[in-house]
Amino acid sequence: MFDAVRNNKKVVQVFLVMITLPFAFFGVESYVKNAGNSDGVATVGGTAIQMGEFQQALREQQERMRGALGASFNPAMMDTPETRRAVLENLVNQRLLALDAQKMRLSVSDASLRDTIAAIPAFQENGHFSLPRYEAVLKAQGMTQAVFEGRLRHDLALQQVLGAVAEGVLVPQSSVDQVYSVQLEERTVSEVRLPAAQFAAGVKLAEDAARKFYDTERKRFEMPAQLKAEYVVLSKDAVANQLSVADADVRKEYDAHPERFSQGEERRASHILIQADKGAGDAALKAAREKAEALLKQLTAKPDDFARLARENSQDPGSAEKGGDLGFFARGAMVKEFEEAAFGLKNEGETSGVVQSDFGFHIIRLTGVKASKSRPFDEVKGEIAAELKRNEAAKKFAELVESFTNTVYEQADSLKPAAEKFKLAVQATDWIAGDGKAPAPFNNEKLIGELFSDEALKNKRNTSAVDVGNGTLVAARVLEHKPAALRPFEEVKPVIEKALGNEEAVKLAEQDGEGKLAKLAKGEAVDLAWSPARAIARSEQGLPPEVLRAIFRASTEKLPAYAGVKVPGAGYALYRIEKVNRPVAKADDPRRAAIKQQYARVLAEQDFGAYIAALRKRHDVKVNYALLDEQKDK
Amino acid sequence: MAAFDLEEQEQISQIKGWWEQFGTLVTGAAVAAALASVGWQGWQWYQGKQTAEASALYAVLQKAASEKNTQKSREAAGALIEKYNGTAYADMAALLSAKVQAEAGDLKNARVPLAWAATKASDPALRELARLRLATVMFDDKAYDEALAQLQAPTDESLVARFADLKGDILLAQGKREEARAAYKAVVTALETTTKSESAALREIAQAKLDAVGGAQ
Repeated sequence: MFDAVRNNKKVVQVFLVMITLPFAFFGVESYVKNAGNSDGVATVGGTAIQMGEFQQALREQQERMRGALGASFNPAMMDTPETRRAVLENLVNQRLLALDAQKMRLSVSDASLRDTIAAIPAFQENGHFSLPRYEAVLKAQGMTQAVFEGRLRHDLALQQVLGAVAEGVLVPQSSVDQVYSVQLEERTVSEVRLPAAQFAAGVKLAEDAARKFYDTERKRFEMPAQLKAEYVVLSKDAVANQLSVADADVRKEYDAHPERFSQGEERRASHILIQADKGAGDAALKAAREKAEALLKQLTAKPDDFARLARENSQDPGSAEKGGDLGFFARGAMVKEFEEAAFGLKNEGETSGVVQSDFGFHIIRLTGVKASKSRPFDEVKGEIAAELKRNEAAKKFAELVESFTNTVYEQADSLKPAAEKFKLAVQATDWIAGDGKAPAPFNNEKLIGELFSDEALKNKRNTSAVDVGNGTLVAARVLEHKPAALRPFEEVKPVIEKALGNEEAVKLAEQDGEGKLAKLAKGEAVDLAWSPARAIARSEQGLPPEVLRAIFRASTEKLPAYAGVKVPGAGYALYRIEKVNRPVAKADDPRRAAIKQQYARVLAEQDFGAYIAALRKRHDVKVNYALLDEQKDK
Repeated sequence: MAAFDLEEQEQISQIKGWWEQFGTLVTGAAVAAALASVGWQGWQWYQGKQTAEASALYAVLQKAASEKNTQKSREAAGALIEKYNGTAYADMAALLSAKVQAEAGDLKNARVPLAWAATKASDPALRELARLRLATVMFDDKAYDEALAQLQAPTDESLVARFADLKGDILLAQGKREEARAAYKAVVTALETTTKSESAALREIAQAKLDAVGGAQ
């Protein structure tokens, strides 16, 4: 190999120069920037969206849905391929916007960033931006300033694009008028129903129709395997109930931690505030201090004037109207300087000197003291005992887990030994199936899986001790078992015949209805019992959507016009449209404003969607569907 | 020279010979590469500076827009289009300023930035949106034929429905019911299979308009 180098030195030299040169101008980072970017669930313009990022977004979406739906929230509903795709789609869009903002060099100046942060109410105190508050809020969110400001900068850059693309949408005035007139349109309609029941007499089912249906639709008549089981539950609660705590131990705990059973001292104070930011500049600070000192002088002369002076001079709008009163507060509730002064005063009615804090200059008067006090032993005895039991039970439970698991495994043909050893009751279930709908704990997949395994069904062995969550172990065994079975034909025959008969009757009703509709449309007379006419709006709540669609899609060039609609499972309905009323919008109608806003939103979303579609063409988007769907069975 | 053996001396003379032949070329190439790199970096720096200035001006426009200040919006957008065209900010400013003018009822001044953006915006996607909005302003101005002319040429497929919807409204305003019906039908067809809720909403609206001009038949 070295011979090859030696013989082709010139080539090698030129080659070496070629590799070295670029580094002199471009640096190394551009070569390594794209390393390690593979294996994402999608790539957008060469950058990857990692699985972790996707799962985080999915979780956040689930949290939002949980918040919106409350108790009716079902996590399984959230893990459909459709939701996963929608969540990914959203991430891809965000990435596209971010890439584009970078490419177009969209930026946000420090001044804009500062103004935006200062205008966020969460960071304000008394209507002004407060740095300590800003820091505290971010800390509570677990964010550093750099991270927050980075995100905000990013959001503001996207806001620039959105402002032009989406919010900049224009809606023609006459389009609004037109949408108004068609959306609020009313049609005056009479109805005739042709219920399937009227055609039942004409139905003739073939002799073997039910049998054929039974044979082709076997799946519908299957009953799943079911079983009855007995089981024992070992839980932390069960262990805790078996424990008792000596009164002496409770007393000891009470004496050992007096701070846990007492309430800290609270004080009530009034103050007069002259506002001055610490960074406000020397002149402003001096002026504020002098004003505060002048007030203090007035107070020393006339101590009873505190409330009046506060009302007239205090720049704390919340307390000024109450004569400066701040109510009771404990330590930790106020800024440090204020707290020290307020808790430093000795007697009620005593007034401090001028105290400087982040807000400005305060004059503080102590108006009440609630001394710290202990809660009596009898009041907290129960709480302490329960807590000691809980701690003890947790310890004991950890010790018992292994021996419980072993007992149900070693004596696998009965639960009695485990029940006796751990003083547990053997309980029994009703018939349950393996479809996840059985009551807890038999909705646990692992437990139900073990119960329906051969080991438990045929060999009648105990399941293992399954952890079903919340510090609870369950072991069960099968008592009785019914295998999956087909319901016998004779049992279901009447049901099938009734369903088929109805289906047939519905068809007859539809044929009859369509025939009559055709005649009506030609202008021929048909003898029908029309209902009294009534006006129906497009947004009518009481009618099924397919009926509304039929009524409003009917051409009304000629009146009366007719429409017909199949009512699923029930028959057919005919409608006669006698009058069409399309209202004309008045400029000041609030409904017009609402419709304009709604229409503008639809158009804005279209424009934004078109913009995103253009970005998609600009940056290559690849989605790894295999990885996206595979993750489902994690 | 004595430090080199024969073979090495031969190599040295080889290299010298090579350098005499190609030296100027190599030096020239290296200098050209260096110049190109410096030029590239300089261009990048210039672009960065331009967009940063444009960004600051755009912030002024955003503020003016939120205050519905037509005069200030017009000035900021005008400056962006004049001095910073080529940056994305000029394109965006045209759209945003037009919105402020049109909302205030000043259709003439809404037309100006849109007419510029519809042909000269550097982002083709924004060009299409500008054209659509220019047609909207012309429609409000009752310049129906002018507006329809803007909507003529085939466009980005994701805007087909939007264009057809507006076209239908304009044709209807001209009293051309048949043509309007065809336009609305085109909206419904374009969005027939959509899964997006915002597109479904537009389809429903277009369907209602279609129903009102005599339905699909």
